[in-house]
Amino acid sequence: MNAAEWHAACDRRLAELGVDPREARRLADDSAAEALASGLHPAELFGPATAYATSLASAARQPLAAPLARARGPVVLRLAGVTKRYRRREVLRGVDLVLRGGEVAAVVGANGSGKSTLLGVCAGSVKASGGTVERAARIGYAPQQHGVAPYLTPDEHFRLFGAVHGMGARKAVATGTRLAAGLGWRPRDTVAGKLSGGTQQKLNVVLGELDRPDLILLDEPYQGFDQDSYLDLWAQVYAWRDAGAGVLVVTHLLHDLDKVDHVLELQGSEDR
Amino acid sequence: MTLTIAATSLREIGRRRAALLLVIALPLAFYAARADQQGQAIRFLALGVGWAVATLSLFSHVNSRHLDRRLTVVGASPSALLIGRQAALAATGLAMAAGYFGLIALTQDVERLWAVAVLLVTTVLIAAPLGAVVSLVLPRELEGALALLAVMATQMLADPEGTLAKALPLWSTRELAAYAVDPVGGEYFERGLLHFAVVVVLCSAAAWTAAVVRLRPQALPQPAP
Repeated sequence: MNAAEWHAACDRRLAELGVDPREARRLADDSAAEALASGLHPAELFGPATAYATSLASAARQPLAAPLARARGPVVLRLAGVTKRYRRREVLRGVDLVLRGGEVAAVVGANGSGKSTLLGVCAGSVKASGGTVERAARIGYAPQQHGVAPYLTPDEHFRLFGAVHGMGARKAVATGTRLAAGLGWRPRDTVAGKLSGGTQQKLNVVLGELDRPDLILLDEPYQGFDQDSYLDLWAQVYAWRDAGAGVLVVTHLLHDLDKVDHVLELQGSEDR
Repeated sequence: MTLTIAATSLREIGRRRAALLLVIALPLAFYAARADQQGQAIRFLALGVGWAVATLSLFSHVNSRHLDRRLTVVGASPSALLIGRQAALAATGLAMAAGYFGLIALTQDVERLWAVAVLLVTTVLIAAPLGAVVSLVLPRELEGALALLAVMATQMLADPEGTLAKALPLWSTRELAAYAVDPVGGEYFERGLLHFAVVVVLCSAAAWTAAVVRLRPQALPQPAP
């Protein structure tokens, strides 16, 4: 790969990662100029073009607009003594949680402990067997599986979900594209079934936040993400929180827990 | 919202090219197998169209179930989702029916050609909600496809004058086919249309009820601040 090809590959990769095309061109030009000034081939100075572009994109990406001051808002989710049984099997027992706008709660627990069931109960797609569930009307919901349609492109997803939220097609696509850039992804005209698992998950997450909801429910949203995308996701979570939304995240990555306001640990029925 | 759902569903159906080709080929195979007997060929073609559209409807609804549930959780109406998807399926079925009407017009000398158009349209309008009903009652593809196989095969084999045939959804197709092809009186046409009206109302009502029951999210009260 000669210097010009390295430059083009860097530029292309930056654009793929959601960096504004003009900014991508400027970053690639700066890198090429720096290599030229040092008298070295860019690959010798910076390494492979795609890897260097990934680092540049992470550094260049700005968090989505959100107020700096962090204030707790009204309650967006209140669970009191929530239980869920499937016939004789008790999946959830006595779950309590109060989540306000501007807070993040993590739901943790072993496989089969009812994390996804709890998210379904909060979303309203699963009926609780007992207890009370109160939640804000405007929610975003990213389920763990089957959150996207394999035969639709990202733009078609944005238009479909936008229509549900009463958004025009143009606004929905523009909003979806902007939110995708925050996760280091530029949507293309490819059906979701042909996207990688990580990119499908990004689409899933973007659809969950399309309408700036008051409560965002995410079920292990980082599956298939690389390290940068994972960090971008948490940057997004904090941006939503700082913008006043309550966020409930199902996770099994324990090192995330020192950054959240509430940790809800579920125990599977076999552990009790 | 309903229009967006219909347009989206049409795109999804259009992209399943292999499935679409098979759906188009099924009635053609039935027609070709009985091409030497005009009445049987048209009857089997129409039943094939019904079977194909019902199967397409079944798979379309089964595959969209998770997404539809997600959409209803964030505010979509189950009725709008059902109507949008049904509109797309009916449009696809009617386009296919139009093609087969052209084929019949070109290759057969039919007594009442206009009745063939009525026959194909009514068959499509029954098949689309029929597939939805099966998908909502049996929400897995294999079980649903087997249920449709049982219904359609019985419809083809049962004596049209018997009670069993009349209790099945596409009896109107056989009556209207007889009126279109055979030298019979208008009572066949009237009976066929009456049966069609009853079945289409029942299927649509059942599909709508099942969609609302399965897709409607829990009504959760808003928390006090």
